[in-house]
Amino acid sequence: MVLAAEPALHISGLVKSYGDVHAVRGIDLEVARGEVYGFLGPNGAGKSTTIRCVLDLLRPTAGTIEVLGLDPRRDGVAVRQRVAYLPGELRLPERMTGTQLVATIGRLRGGIDEHRRDELAERLQLDLGRRVRELSSGNRRKVALLLAFASDVELLVLDEPTSGLDPLMQQVFLQLVAEARAAGKTVFLSSHVLSEVQRAADRVAVLRAGKIVTVGTVEELRGRARQRVEIWFPGEPPTAELTALGGIDDARTDGRHFAAVLAGPVQPLIELLARHPVTSLLVEEPDLEEAFLDLFADEQ
Amino acid sequence: MASRWLELITVPFRAAWRAGLAWSIVLVMFIVATVAFWPAFEGSTAFNDALKVLPAQLLNAFGLQDFASPAGYLRGGLYDVLIPLMLAAAGALLANSATAAEEDAGRIELFLTQPISRVAFMTARAISTMLWLIVLMLVVLVSQVISDTVFDLHIGAGEIVATIILSGLIGVFCAALAIAIAGITARPGLVLGIPLAVALLGYLVSALFPVSDVLDQWKWISPWEWALGGDPLTNGGDLWRYAALIVPSLALIVIGVVAFNRRDVRAA
Repeated sequence: MVLAAEPALHISGLVKSYGDVHAVRGIDLEVARGEVYGFLGPNGAGKSTTIRCVLDLLRPTAGTIEVLGLDPRRDGVAVRQRVAYLPGELRLPERMTGTQLVATIGRLRGGIDEHRRDELAERLQLDLGRRVRELSSGNRRKVALLLAFASDVELLVLDEPTSGLDPLMQQVFLQLVAEARAAGKTVFLSSHVLSEVQRAADRVAVLRAGKIVTVGTVEELRGRARQRVEIWFPGEPPTAELTALGGIDDARTDGRHFAAVLAGPVQPLIELLARHPVTSLLVEEPDLEEAFLDLFADEQ
Repeated sequence: MASRWLELITVPFRAAWRAGLAWSIVLVMFIVATVAFWPAFEGSTAFNDALKVLPAQLLNAFGLQDFASPAGYLRGGLYDVLIPLMLAAAGALLANSATAAEEDAGRIELFLTQPISRVAFMTARAISTMLWLIVLMLVVLVSQVISDTVFDLHIGAGEIVATIILSGLIGVFCAALAIAIAGITARPGLVLGIPLAVALLGYLVSALFPVSDVLDQWKWISPWEWALGGDPLTNGGDLWRYAALIVPSLALIVIGVVAFNRRDVRAA
C-alpha cells in the first residue's frame, strides 16, 4: 500500500439535500492512497449521491471534499484528469461503436493506450466493433469498465461496477481491481452487494439513509454480517442443538428442513453439523438490511 | 487542448446529422416547390387583384401584398413565415437535443466526468448547434440560388443573402434561448417549448401589431421585427438588425453556460 501525504479522498461533513429530502446527511470518510475502499449500502442509501458530489456533478449542500488533495469544485479538470469513473446508471451514446467511444474518451483525456484497450477488450470478451445500442447491459458495463481501467489515473471511482456482469466477468473485474491496487492505484468501490465488496476491498464503510453507520476492515465486517442458513437433514433436525448455538436467530423447523439467520462465525455450526448426517446445506447472503440488522436497527 | 475542443464540438455535431439532414431536405423541398411556381405568377396581376378584397393592413401583415414581383413572391411564399419559422424550430430542436435532452437521458455524465470543464462542454454544445444552423442557412442559400436560376426568378444577391442570414438569426436567437434555459434546468419540455413559443408569438406580434394603431408602437418587442421588419428582400439588411439578434444571442449563451456551471447535473 502506497501512503502519500494527502489521502486519495477526504470527505468531511458532506450533506446533500433536495428541499426537504436529505440524500446525504453528514458523511465523513478518508480513503488512503493505494487502498481499495468499499462503499456499501442498500439502494437509496446515498452512495451515488456522494460519488456524484466527489466528481462535481452535484454541488454539496454542506461539507468539504478533497480528491487527491484538490477541491473538485475549484480544480475539477485537474481532479478528473487523475480520476476515472464508472457510473452506476450507465448511459452511453447509442450510435457510437465501442471503438469510437473509446477513441472519443481517449481524445478528451489526452490519449489512451491502444495496447491496454485491446488487452482489456480481450480479457472482458468485448467486441468493440459493435454499436452501443446493439450491446446488452452486461456488455455496456464492460465498455465502461474498459474505459475506467484503460485510463492512466490515480483513483478509480466505481459505482456498482459488476451490475449485469456474469460470474466469469465478475472474476475478471476482481482481478483488474487487484492489479490496480498492485500498481498503487486507489479504488473507491460502491456496491449494494456485500460479497462483491468483501472480495475486493481492504476497508469498508457501510452507509444507510445518507449516513455512515460503520467503518471497518473486511474481516471485521464479515464477523458482523448475518447470513441466511438452510439445512436439510435425512431425519429430524437437531433443532435444540442448533438453536443453542451462539448467533442463531429466527430459527424455523419444517419437517426435515431447518432455517435460521446466523450472526457471527460459521465455524461452530460446521462443527455441529459434522456430528450429524446432513442432506444439503445452503448458506447465502441476505440483503444488506438483513445482513446488518443490528446496525440498521440502531439507526432506525 | 485544441483536440479536446474539436472533440467536444464534433461529438454533438455528428450526433445531430440525421436531424440536420432531415431539416435540409425539408427546407430544399419547400424552396424548390415554391420557386417552381414563380413562372405562373411572374407579371400576373390576377392573384394580386383577387387578394385586393382583403384590407391592405392584413395583406401586409402576412406578406401577401405583391405576388407579381420576385421580392413580393418570395416574401409571401417563403420568407415572411415559413423559412424563419422552420429555422427557429430547427434551432430550438438542435439546441435541445445537444443539451437538455441529452442530460435528461443521462448521457452527458460520461463527458462531464472527463477532464473538461462544464463551461467548455456547454460552450462546445452551443457552437455545435450554431454550426448546424450555419449549414442550414447555406442549404437555404444554395437551393434558393439554384432554384432562382432554374425558374428564372431575378432577385438581388445582396437582398437574398441578407434575408437568409436574418431569417437564420431568428433560428440562432431561438437556439441561444434554448441553451440559456438548458443551462438553468435540464427540462426538455421547457427548453423546447419556450423558444418555440417566443418564435410563434414573435411572428404574431410582428404580423398583427401593425394592424392596430394602438399596438403598432410595440411591434419592436418581437425578434421577428428586428430581423425582417425592414423587408430585407427589397431593402437588404441594416447592420443594426444583425447586431440586434447576435448580441442578445451571445448574452443568452453566456447565461446558459454560467448557469450550467453553477447547478447540479441531473442523474440518469
